[in-house]
Amino acid sequence: MRTIVKHDNHTMTTLARPKLRRLADDAGLTIMVCVFAAVLITLVNGKTWELYDQMVYSVCVGLIALAILDGARLALPDDPARRRRWLAPGLVLLVATAPFAHFCGMVVGSLLLGYGIPDLHDYPNDRGQRGMILFALLGIGVMALLILNRERVERIKLERTQATARAETIERQALQVQLRLLQAQIEPHMLFNTLANLQGLIAIDPQQASTMLDHLIQYLRATLSATRAESTTLAQEFAAAEAYLGLMAVRMGPRLAYRCVLPADLRAARLPAMLLQPLVENAIIHGLEPKIEGGTVTVEASARAGLLEICVSDTGLGLDDTLTAAKGTGVGVSTTRERLQALYGPRAALTLIPAQPHGVLARLTLPLETA
Amino acid sequence: MTTTPRPRALIAEDEPILAATLAATLRRLWPELEIGGTAPNGVAAVEQALALRPDILFLDIKMPGQSGLEAAQELAERWDGPRPFPQVVFVTAYDDYAVQAFEQAAVDYVMKPVSDERLARTVERLRARTAPAAAPAGDAALDRLVEQMRALLPAQPGAERLTVIRAAVGNIIRMIPVQDVAYFQALDKYVNVASLDGDALIRLSLKDLLAQLDPDRFRQISRGTIVNLRHVASASRDDAGKLTLHLRNPPDTLRVSPLFAHLFRQM
Repeated sequence: MRTIVKHDNHTMTTLARPKLRRLADDAGLTIMVCVFAAVLITLVNGKTWELYDQMVYSVCVGLIALAILDGARLALPDDPARRRRWLAPGLVLLVATAPFAHFCGMVVGSLLLGYGIPDLHDYPNDRGQRGMILFALLGIGVMALLILNRERVERIKLERTQATARAETIERQALQVQLRLLQAQIEPHMLFNTLANLQGLIAIDPQQASTMLDHLIQYLRATLSATRAESTTLAQEFAAAEAYLGLMAVRMGPRLAYRCVLPADLRAARLPAMLLQPLVENAIIHGLEPKIEGGTVTVEASARAGLLEICVSDTGLGLDDTLTAAKGTGVGVSTTRERLQALYGPRAALTLIPAQPHGVLARLTLPLETA
Repeated sequence: MTTTPRPRALIAEDEPILAATLAATLRRLWPELEIGGTAPNGVAAVEQALALRPDILFLDIKMPGQSGLEAAQELAERWDGPRPFPQVVFVTAYDDYAVQAFEQAAVDYVMKPVSDERLARTVERLRARTAPAAAPAGDAALDRLVEQMRALLPAQPGAERLTVIRAAVGNIIRMIPVQDVAYFQALDKYVNVASLDGDALIRLSLKDLLAQLDPDRFRQISRGTIVNLRHVASASRDDAGKLTLHLRNPPDTLRVSPLFAHLFRQM
């Protein structure tokens, strides 16, 4: 759950750009509109020698209009629900901005070009200037439309990315639920065989029957609680593995020996529930149970370079014979690999290699989390 | 007062506590029964059965070495001598897919954990069958097992049919048209392909191979052999009732398991 929230925050910050950055982007768009307007004016009045001046004026008018309009827009809080309500005041502001920006643009442009300040007094009387104000209004309108449209496209893109991220999250959660349900299935064959052993032991050796019952309770508790818990500690996982191995040792008698090595400083290390258990069960079911002589299972945890490494090795039938004898082998392993991939990506791995002189060595590596 | 010989039983079960429990329960329910021993795996089960010649054989389904079903099949092939084939009772844990199959094939089985009531019923049936007065001529137990096992043997799924067998001989791959193959014989991890042009090895299980062969042409005749029916010249039965096939080319002979003898009965 935590990783998912982190993921969403990340998406938001990369896609919702800071306001200054948006203003700069909008200025770029404005300059393009202004240059286009200047070229248009020059084409209409035929005074090609005035093109440079027109451009300077045009850009000055445009940038001033942008500073007012876009500045106002970005200063206000962006609330999608209220967007419509700002439409009328925005239009009024836009119309009012046109003559102001045009005049200021003329002043700044003249100063920049070294022509001196035009006289404010005769400004509104000039018919040509009035036409230019209308043209400026048109240009500013186009600019506003372009900016708003671009924002809309970006917003749609952002929403789509978020929707995709959400869909991925949901898919992952569904997968995890499915996996938990799969894990929760305690094999009936195993359960009934264990009960049959208990039934026999009660008559023969009540003390051992009681020990076996303890193992069974611990195993069931660990397996069933794993359906609710997302992560667990290595100490708990080792306890569950030892309970299972204890059960199997009673059932298989002298055919099974086992050893669990957990360094004290790794007891609190966190890991996803039910990663270790399937590996231990595989070692028994595919390695030692079908082997006439039986053998040894060793479960060992170690840490190095920020990684937690758990090795489950057996002296059983080995990969080749196992795969041909029982086709179910691949399922547990591929499920575990999928889980690791979903949770850690390339930072975790599960490898299965032949052990020497015979048997299988399953090595699980994942990031060490001791919190 | 005449003393009838006590019936003898062998238990094949890999979990020692379960073997001891079954033995104890049997002793309680059937005091006259002699428990001749317990076998810890499917391979030992066959060897001990051949040595002990029990009247009753309890076979766990899931055992190391080979399964109870495989052990029964092997024993049926290797059983000889004057003593009748044992009554076979399969033992299986509750969830075994076998339970359903057993119900359908009317196989004698008991379920783990074994309930006294259920085992008592089985004991009653076994008592009736092994009573000297009830002993019929011939191998009734074997006939029943054969009948049951035949119902249990999986129907061949409609997998893709092989037309050519590709077998590596040294560095080259020999292509053997499937109709030219006389028989396939399992050899450890390999299968020997016997054809007109000699032998070749392929690495495939007999079971997988069988699924890919035309059932009208190729039939399994024992645990380790599949024969091409068109290459069979004749079948003969010896004094002990064992069936042997004689092939045309190559002129080999093959033993037929009792489980498959019905394929070669006179019309």
